[in-house]
Amino acid sequence: MLLNGWKKGWIAMLLAICITAAGCQPAKEAGPAALPEANQAEQPQEIVLAAPRDLAPGPKDAYYTSLILYVWEPLIAGGEDGEPAPKLAESWEMSEDGREWTFKLRDNVRFHDGEKLTADAVIANFARYRKVSPKSSPFYTLNIDTSYPGLQNIAKVDELTLRLSFKDPQPTLPYAMANFASPIYSPNSFDENGDFKGLPQGTGPFKLIEHQKDAFALLEANPDYYGPKAKTGKIRVRVIPDPDTRLAALKAGEIAGVMDLGALPPEQARELLKDERFGVSHTASTISHYLHPNGKEGPLRDVRLRRAVSLAIDREMIVRELYRGYPTATVNILNATSPFHKELKVSYDPAEAKRLAGEVLGDKRQPVRLIVPSYGIDRYPYKAQAELIQHQLKDIGLDVEIRILDGAAFKEAQAKGDYDLALATQGLPNAEPFTILNQYMASSGSANKNYSLGYSSERVDSLLKEAAGLLDVEERRRIYDELQDIAAAELPTIPLFNDASLIAYDKRIQGYKALLYGTSLPELEWAP
Amino acid sequence: MGSLTRYLCRRLLAAVPLLVGATLIAFLLGVAAPGDPAREALGMSGVREPTEQELQAMREQLGLHRPLAVQYGLWLIKAAQGDLGVSYITKEPVAKELLRRLPHTLALAIGAVLIAAMTGIPLGIWMAARRNRWEDHLGRTVALLLVSVPGFWLAILFILLFSETWGLLPTSGFGGWRELLMPSAVLASGTGAVLMRLSRAAMLEVMNQNYMLTAKAKGLGELGVLIGHGLKNMLIPVVTVLGSSFGGIVGGAVIVEVIFAIPGIGRYAVEAIYRRDYPVIQGYVLFTSIVYVLFNLLVDLVYTWVQPQIRLGGAVR
Repeated sequence: MLLNGWKKGWIAMLLAICITAAGCQPAKEAGPAALPEANQAEQPQEIVLAAPRDLAPGPKDAYYTSLILYVWEPLIAGGEDGEPAPKLAESWEMSEDGREWTFKLRDNVRFHDGEKLTADAVIANFARYRKVSPKSSPFYTLNIDTSYPGLQNIAKVDELTLRLSFKDPQPTLPYAMANFASPIYSPNSFDENGDFKGLPQGTGPFKLIEHQKDAFALLEANPDYYGPKAKTGKIRVRVIPDPDTRLAALKAGEIAGVMDLGALPPEQARELLKDERFGVSHTASTISHYLHPNGKEGPLRDVRLRRAVSLAIDREMIVRELYRGYPTATVNILNATSPFHKELKVSYDPAEAKRLAGEVLGDKRQPVRLIVPSYGIDRYPYKAQAELIQHQLKDIGLDVEIRILDGAAFKEAQAKGDYDLALATQGLPNAEPFTILNQYMASSGSANKNYSLGYSSERVDSLLKEAAGLLDVEERRRIYDELQDIAAAELPTIPLFNDASLIAYDKRIQGYKALLYGTSLPELEWAP
Repeated sequence: MGSLTRYLCRRLLAAVPLLVGATLIAFLLGVAAPGDPAREALGMSGVREPTEQELQAMREQLGLHRPLAVQYGLWLIKAAQGDLGVSYITKEPVAKELLRRLPHTLALAIGAVLIAAMTGIPLGIWMAARRNRWEDHLGRTVALLLVSVPGFWLAILFILLFSETWGLLPTSGFGGWRELLMPSAVLASGTGAVLMRLSRAAMLEVMNQNYMLTAKAKGLGELGVLIGHGLKNMLIPVVTVLGSSFGGIVGGAVIVEVIFAIPGIGRYAVEAIYRRDYPVIQGYVLFTSIVYVLFNLLVDLVYTWVQPQIRLGGAVR
């Protein structure tokens, strides 16, 4: 039976009320949770932030918490310029032959459980590295063999000094030790397997006082911290995996900011900046975005076609249109945050790309499989990026078929060479570029093998071997420069852009900004 | 041994092959899917790629080098003793993690079933009572909409309205009833809509029965007739749907758990599937299968209360 006119009108009115209420009502006065009282005389005791994943995976993790929660500290930190910076080790010195490194620890540092930082405590941590390596983590794998290759002995020199002895010279050891490669905890933190017995007892400006897995981590300012104290008494970092829910929680005043990789997709940043209540902070990131070519089989074995693909992709357009201009376009395999990074000109030349592709393909069109990981789609606009690349490669005779695969299937397809092109992200393992260059460019490099890049060059293998034995850092730099040039010319992988760290915050807090790795969490406080 | 106990024992024993079959299928689907758990376990960070030697060592550590039948058989023997193994990725015991997350998902599912039942059944009865009037048409349209609308879309709409715009409920998290209300309502929407239409149809059928006419003829009011004589008689199909949908709700809580940031077993299972974490997938399938079995059993027991002429074992007096 058809509805009468007034009944239809009544239903339409109900729907209209719902829709317009969502669109028109100001959300400013709303918001049920922690923040709304911020402007009142008495501010809430804790500040609530949110991250897409649990930044404290727990006692079986290599680190228990991410470095960006400031619970534990490394011996050597990565500075904002990418160079090694003192943290728990206040100074270090290399022996003349490069086989011994002596570290002087900072004095008057205590762990959260009251234990004093001493050479013995650091040696106990190195014993744990040895016991658990390789120890997985969502952040970085803890592996003494890759961070400290050929480590033979750790000796206590005095209460605050220790010496590491190596089989071969390790002139760039501080670069390899930065951040996740030298975490230090109270020796009482570990059980007999090297796992954490309870909450981690680090030396950082925050203590982890409560943790509910996949729900939240509660941090409390460490009153005995040796450096500048954290400005907020308590910070709760909630886990909100869905980006739309995170944004809604920020707008509703439930959280004061977001943190961690992919916390704020670029399109959300643009939307958020329309509202003057919120701010966005960004900086360079250690994440690089690549387009892996299958160099083992298929058309991309030919370096001319790889160059054609590289020249046909308008990187600036991808960065501008899909990432709102936050990242930087690059053709360099080495991330721009590395202190060894070399500036290389980014070229976009469709005519030359067409000519090169024509040399390889003739008049034929070539089908190409572009695989995209689903985790990339969750964090980045990878679907749109794949479609843009599909469109740009059409002009050089490549008919791109896009396949979206879950993470495990994506890795399997790369390992088996069941693809032609793959969108991929790569973090910088440490400030020493040897690791990443060796992984991608050495004939036996693990990334080269696992991604079926099929890259092999006698010159590169010999340069890597030479670099490994060099004591002088400037000599190493010369070799790394040449390797970057070779990578840009021969394209074992096709670099697209260097990512940016992007965070958002409610302007009722201050001092919160994105850093090269993490945020300025200890500086965070309520705005006056 | 009483007939009820005998019946329960028989049904529980019959469930054992079902549970074994379900976990076996899950195991085979897991290993058939492309992906290498060892690669996932070693490459969580995505920063450094493992070497072939490291991968091989990890495969041996995880027992993946053994024949499939041995892998499954060992898991089954341990599962029978209550040990569901250890996650390949987090290294945490699976049973402990499932039990830790269970209250979150159960609260969500129970909330959803309550909302579905408390809205779907009364509205269905009301629609039947107002048959072919505008209230009936409106109810049917709403039911159709609720069945058709994807859960994630409804979740986003709810968050936009109730959290961002009106500030009535928190966007996400787990704690009290306020956090549970929106996710439970989203999860209940499909089942509630089905119950509306089913209750309406069942009540319409019951309303034509002679005993209903007799009750009306005795002078009882419409509401009294519907509740006193109609409700219990229309409940059989409704209870069937409600019981079987509980398992579906538990299994379907995944999207809701992700959107509303609830650390339940659905989210745990999805992450395990992405990482080919077989022990977690197996444990999750075993758990949800048990839930299905138990709720179907409960439904059968409720039948005997709703319709006493139904006897346990299938025969009708």
